[in-house]
Amino acid sequence: MTMTPSDSGALNFAATLARSFAASLNVDATVGQALASIIQLLETEAGSLFLLDDAGSMLVCRASVGPVKIDGLAVPMGQGIVGRAVAEDRLLVVENAYEDKNFFKAADAKSGFITRSILCAPMRVGDKLIGAVQVLNKRSGHPFDGIDGKDANMLQVMANAAALAISNARLADQLLEQERIKRELELASEIQRSLLPNEDDDLPICGINRPIREVSGDFYDYFELPDGTIAFALGDVSGKGMNAALLMAKTASLFRCLGKTIRDPARLLSILNREICETTSRGMFVTMVAGLYEPATGLLRFANAGHLPPLIKFPDHLYETVAPDAPPLGILRDMHFVDHEIDLKGGLFVAFSDGLTEFRYGDEELGVDGLNQLLEYAHDGPLRQRLEMVLAELDQGGWQAKDDLTLLAIDDRAAGKAWQRERVPAVAAPAEADFLFGLSFPADPSRLKMMRPALEAAAKACQFGEDEIQDLVLAAGEAIENIMIHAYGGQVKGEITLAVHRLPDGIMLRLRDFAPRVDAGKIEPRPLDEVRPGGLGTHFIRAIMDDASFIPLPDGEGNLLELVKRRKNATESAEATAVATAGGADSKGGN
Amino acid sequence: MSVASIKEEQGKIVIALEGDIDLENAGEVRKALLANLKQKKDLLIDLSAVSYIDSSGIASLVEGLQVARKQKNELSLVSVSARALRVLELARLDKVFAIHADVAAALAARP
Repeated sequence: MTMTPSDSGALNFAATLARSFAASLNVDATVGQALASIIQLLETEAGSLFLLDDAGSMLVCRASVGPVKIDGLAVPMGQGIVGRAVAEDRLLVVENAYEDKNFFKAADAKSGFITRSILCAPMRVGDKLIGAVQVLNKRSGHPFDGIDGKDANMLQVMANAAALAISNARLADQLLEQERIKRELELASEIQRSLLPNEDDDLPICGINRPIREVSGDFYDYFELPDGTIAFALGDVSGKGMNAALLMAKTASLFRCLGKTIRDPARLLSILNREICETTSRGMFVTMVAGLYEPATGLLRFANAGHLPPLIKFPDHLYETVAPDAPPLGILRDMHFVDHEIDLKGGLFVAFSDGLTEFRYGDEELGVDGLNQLLEYAHDGPLRQRLEMVLAELDQGGWQAKDDLTLLAIDDRAAGKAWQRERVPAVAAPAEADFLFGLSFPADPSRLKMMRPALEAAAKACQFGEDEIQDLVLAAGEAIENIMIHAYGGQVKGEITLAVHRLPDGIMLRLRDFAPRVDAGKIEPRPLDEVRPGGLGTHFIRAIMDDASFIPLPDGEGNLLELVKRRKNATESAEATAVATAGGADSKGGN
Repeated sequence: MSVASIKEEQGKIVIALEGDIDLENAGEVRKALLANLKQKKDLLIDLSAVSYIDSSGIASLVEGLQVARKQKNELSLVSVSARALRVLELARLDKVFAIHADVAAALAARP
C-alpha cells in the first residue's frame, strides 16, 4: 500500500486500513499491521505502538519498526513522551527530542539511533484510552509539522482507526476465549456426568444430580457388588466452580475404587479422608454419606462425614436420623467415623445435598420438613418417577434452586421380595411360638458376626443364662456355616433366612436355605475320639440344642432346619414338677 | 483381625489371636499357624483375647497341632479365655491340647 501523504490520501488510507483491520481478529497482527501502515504513510524512520496494561498503570510496547526494536518495553503512565501523551490525553509534537526533559535517551545510547523529532498520539476508543502510537524522524530530515499540522492530523486519524481495530480484535479475542472456556466447561460437565452411575431400573436405588452451573460440586454414585449388596455415596464439595468440580471428580473416583473392596463405610470414609487431606488444597472439604445396602435383608449401614442427615421414612413413621458425628472429609487427617445400621423394613432412605433443602420461594426455604412433605406426596410409583415428581413439584411451584442439587434414594419396598419371604414362613410355626424377628441374608461368612448380637439379644429375651446364650449363639452359627459350606458350597449369593421364635420354655430358630434338598440322614456328628479338623459343627449343634431337625417343606426348593433349645432352669423345674407330681401320685397311691 | 501379634520368646513362637474367630477369618489363623510351623519351632497360641471361636477356628488349631506333632514340635494353648475353653470342652479337646495359664507358665513347663 503506497500513498502520498495528502489529506484525501490519508482519509482513503484510513478507510482502507479500517476495513483491513476489521477483518483481522488477532490483536498482535493488527497492532503490527497498524504501525507498519502508519510509518509508511507518514514516511518516518521509526515508530512504536504502546498499549495500556490491564491495570492501566503501564504502557507496554507491542510493536516497533525501525533500526531499534523496543517490543516489550514498559513505560509508567505519565512518564516519557508516550506516557505523557496518554496521561494528558493529547497529541505531542517534540521538535528536538534531546531538548525535551521527558525524552528517554537511554534507548538511543544503547542502539546508536539518534532521535531527532517525535510525534506521539494517544489511542482511544470512545472515552477509553487504550495506548499511544509514536513516530520518530521524518525521512526527509524535516521536523514534523506543528500541533495542528498535516502530520499531526494524519497520525491522530491513523491512531483512531488503529485503536478501533485493536479494540475489535480484542473483542474477537475475548469471544474466542469465552468460546474456548465454554467448550472446556461442556467437556468438564460431560466428564462429570460420566462419573455418575448408569441408571438401572432393576435396582432399588436411584439418584438425580442437577448442577446449578455447567459443573457441579455435588456427586452421587452406587454400584452392585458381587453378592448383591449395593454400595452408595452422596457428597457435596465446598465451594463452586472448577476447583470444586475437580475435587468432586477425585472424591467420586476414589469412592468407586475403594467401595469395591472395603465393606465398612466408616473405614472407607477414614481412608478417603486421609487421601483428601494429603492432596487437597487448604480450605476445601467434602461432606459425604457413604454406605452399603442389602436388598435381600433391607439392612443398611452408613457413615456420615459432616453431611446433612439422610431422611429415613418407614412405612408408618419418619425415623429420627442421627446427626453427623464426624467432620467433613479433608479437614483433619486422622478422623474416626462411625457406622450406623438400620433395618429399612420396607422403608425409604433419602440422602440429599443442601441444594435441595435450600430451594427458595421468596423468603421461604424448603427445608427438611418441606422435603419430607414432598416425599409423602410422591409416595407411589417407581422410585425414579417419584424423585422426578419431587423436583417437578418444586419447578412447577416456582421454587428457585440456589445451588447444585443431588438426591439419592433407596426404596426397600421395591427390593422387598426377599424381605417379604422371611416374613412368610414356609411352614407355620407352632401356636405357642412367639415370633421375635426374621432376617434374610446372603450366604456370606462376613454376615456371621452381624448375626451374633441379634441372636444374643433374642436369647436374652427368652431368659437364658449367660453361658446358655453363648452356647446357643455357637450352635446357631454352626448351623448357618453348614448351610454356607454344604448347602451352597461356598457361593455367597445363596440366600438364608432366619426366623427366631420365643417358646414358653425356650427358643426356636428356623433356618431356611434355597439350595437343593440335603439328605438329613447323612448328617452325623463326627466321633470325637478322632482328633482331626472338620465335622465339629454338627457335634456342637447336637450337644447344645435340645432338638435339631429338618422340617419337610411342602413344595419348592430348599431346606428348613428347626433348632430348639429349652432353658436349663425350665427343664429342671419341669422335671422337678414331674417328679413331685409322680411322688404325690405315689404317696396318694400309697394311701 | 484374628491374628493380633506374632513374636518369639525363648525359642518359641507366641501367636496371639483376638476377637471373633469364625468361618470368615479361620483361614487367616490356619495360614498363620502353618506358616510359623515351617520354622520347626514350638508354638504357643495365646487365646486370652478371643471373644468367640467356632468349629472352623478350632479346626485350624487342630490342624496346627497335627502338623506340629508330625514335625516333633509342640503346639500349646495359653491364657485361654473362658469362652474359648468352653468351646474346647464342648469339642472334648481340652485334654488333647496342652493348656497353660500364661506364656510364662508354658515356658517354665518346657521339658
